[in-house]
Amino acid sequence: MAERSGAGTAEGLDGVISDLRALSEDIESCAVLSGDGDLLSSSHALGVERERVGAILAALVNLSERLARDSGKGQFSQLRIEAGGGHLLVVRLDGGGVLAATTGQEARVGLVLYDMRNSRGEVQKVLAEGDDR
Amino acid sequence: MKKLLRRLFVLGALAGAVYAARSYLQRHSPGKETVQIVFDDGSVRSLASNTTEGQEFTDIARKLVETGL
Repeated sequence: MAERSGAGTAEGLDGVISDLRALSEDIESCAVLSGDGDLLSSSHALGVERERVGAILAALVNLSERLARDSGKGQFSQLRIEAGGGHLLVVRLDGGGVLAATTGQEARVGLVLYDMRNSRGEVQKVLAEGDDR
Repeated sequence: MKKLLRRLFVLGALAGAVYAARSYLQRHSPGKETVQIVFDDGSVRSLASNTTEGQEFTDIARKLVETGL
């Protein structure tokens, strides 16, 4: 479920996320966070839980950026965390946004990340089209 | 009988020593690497869960994995 940036962007993001989930069956949930920290697409409906997820994901992105800065590496491009009986996978988009997904413990994480990296271009294209409107 | 008891005692002592050594090594071994971050230049950094930095990442990630995105 996407929000903001117009109906075209919302539908476009939902379409890309839906294609990604169809391609990568190990993905349990998926989200797109903008560079401003807004949750543009999430499996949660509008409400407190969605806002909470957006805030937590934004905190994780900030933490990753801080680590990259402190390490003198500029930016992070990908993040993979094993926790809570599953995996959290994050791929950075141009402009500071991220495409994030969760999987179960036994997921083929490398394959999921590969599919996420391939979908990154489509997500960026939809976001760029939304900005042009 | 005495010989059998002595053998049992030795076996028990050996089992105890193995258990103690295993527990010690598990407690002092580095934490499992649970965080892997890739940077723009292609370099990779892994953080163990028993480090402060690694703990920060896993604490946040745990919440997202449990609630879903």
